[in-house]
Amino acid sequence: METTAAITQSTRRTESRQGKLWRISAIARNAFREAVRDRVLYNLVLFVLLLTGASVFIGELSGGQERKVIVDLGLSAMLLFGVFIAIFVGVGLVYKEIERRTIYAVFSKPVGRGEFLVGKYLGLCLTLLVNVLVMGVGVSLALVYVSHGWDQLIPTIWPAVLLIYMELMLLTATALLFSSFSSPALSALLTFMVFIIGHFSTDLKSLAASLGGSGARWLFTSLYYLLPNLSNYSFITPAAHGRAPSPGFVFATALYAFVYIAVILAAATLVFSRRNFK
Amino acid sequence: MNDRNRTIALGLVVVIGIACAALLVQRIDTLRPPEDPNAIDESLYVNGKTARRMSLGFNGLAADWYWMRSLQYVGRKIINDNDVPLDNLGLLNLKLLAPLLDTATTLDPEFLDPYEYAAIVLPAINVNDAIRITKKGIDANPNAWRLYQHLGYIYWQQHDYQAASEIYGRGAQIEGAPPWMEAMKAKMAADGGSRATAREIYTRMYEQSADEKVRDMARRRLLQLDSLDQRESLRKFLAAYQARTGKCPSSWKEIEPVFRALHVAVDASGAPLDPSGAPFVLRPCDVELDPKSEIPAK
Repeated sequence: METTAAITQSTRRTESRQGKLWRISAIARNAFREAVRDRVLYNLVLFVLLLTGASVFIGELSGGQERKVIVDLGLSAMLLFGVFIAIFVGVGLVYKEIERRTIYAVFSKPVGRGEFLVGKYLGLCLTLLVNVLVMGVGVSLALVYVSHGWDQLIPTIWPAVLLIYMELMLLTATALLFSSFSSPALSALLTFMVFIIGHFSTDLKSLAASLGGSGARWLFTSLYYLLPNLSNYSFITPAAHGRAPSPGFVFATALYAFVYIAVILAAATLVFSRRNFK
Repeated sequence: MNDRNRTIALGLVVVIGIACAALLVQRIDTLRPPEDPNAIDESLYVNGKTARRMSLGFNGLAADWYWMRSLQYVGRKIINDNDVPLDNLGLLNLKLLAPLLDTATTLDPEFLDPYEYAAIVLPAINVNDAIRITKKGIDANPNAWRLYQHLGYIYWQQHDYQAASEIYGRGAQIEGAPPWMEAMKAKMAADGGSRATAREIYTRMYEQSADEKVRDMARRRLLQLDSLDQRESLRKFLAAYQARTGKCPSSWKEIEPVFRALHVAVDASGAPLDPSGAPFVLRPCDVELDPKSEIPAK
């Protein structure tokens, strides 16, 4: 009897887990479709034009450094476009559902608040993945064009692309967290500030070390550990010189991103669960 | 007004508006006071370290921008002030070049081309800046033997053959450095001021540099060395002619048969040609480069 009950309970749990995953994936697919419908991927056209222009004209301006410039420009544009998408689409993910009142229809079904947020988050991450993959291919093709064949920089740009994607995933989670309790404009501003401070984190540490007062030192040290360290994901410049990060470094940064995203999404769910939609 | 007419009217407003704006810009361009030449050379607002902090992970791209700005800055001055060799730009008042190259290399310390450019161009403007930036490159890229070659070149230009020999020696010890770096060390110490050493330096520079402008400068310097040899021979010949006839030749035509017998390349007027193919100019018992020759006079 006890065994049967345990099996039934386990089956229910598995079904419940599967149902949860199915619901999250349905919300994610929907968020991706919505981003595509919102013409978010149009930025790819701009990117292609930018790279084509760079491939043709930069050689004239850069004194024979077109390969380096193409990698720098291509990966920087990838990061910049990605940051804009992560911020401006990310802050609207939840807000738009609330404003259109479609969130009531979603929550009238057996969908948890956490599932909703994670689904939305994954949907935007999927959009960003498509973006960075297409842009990565674009940069590789531009290198093939200027080198008239295979270029040795092509294999080194992909680890940098992966790191850029991780940074964008972190920013998307941050945008989602702010948008779970704030207006889109303020959320965008706050997320952009996190992006800036995230690239200054090394300075925060040196500032903390140089300060005399223990209170200020404690504050800046805490900020250094609390805020996401985005400078770890900047590998564009070494990639342009043909240097790739070590697998250990990529693994550590991936783990850091995973842990940080889990923390941010947990916090966002916590805040969002307390919001009253009745 | 129906929909079609409204569309046509709005389309016309757009087209005519753009045309008017273009005409206005043209008019404003003619009314604008001429640019103050000193305004172009305003100091940079941010130094390299600040620019690096402000670049938010886009430091590579910012370095490329500063690098291209350096090239354009020099290019603009060269266009304004005639064609001068890359290593003799001292008269062009390029006071912003060192800060621009310094910023580019602070933003991306592994970017080797700005160091090379600094080593070639800056000695004629400010040799201390050239040495400082090249040494900064060596500190950031201790395994880049080419930077030792460039620093050695700066010391050689300053006639500091001992320092040049030492730098070539240090560069020669780096893995992957070509064997001629060791040979240059010995040559600098024994015979730094000779034409043969100069020829060796420019030949190596021509072979190693990926920058077309630097290669062109090295090529012209090699032509200049060849022309110096030629001029020496011609002067000896003219002196011998004067000793034999008691006068200097009034034109190349007078001595053309001798050149032809010696298989010296001459043009239609009988003037011997310099290595770039321009005719030498005859002065009484002396020979000079044609001002139109691409070979630098100095």
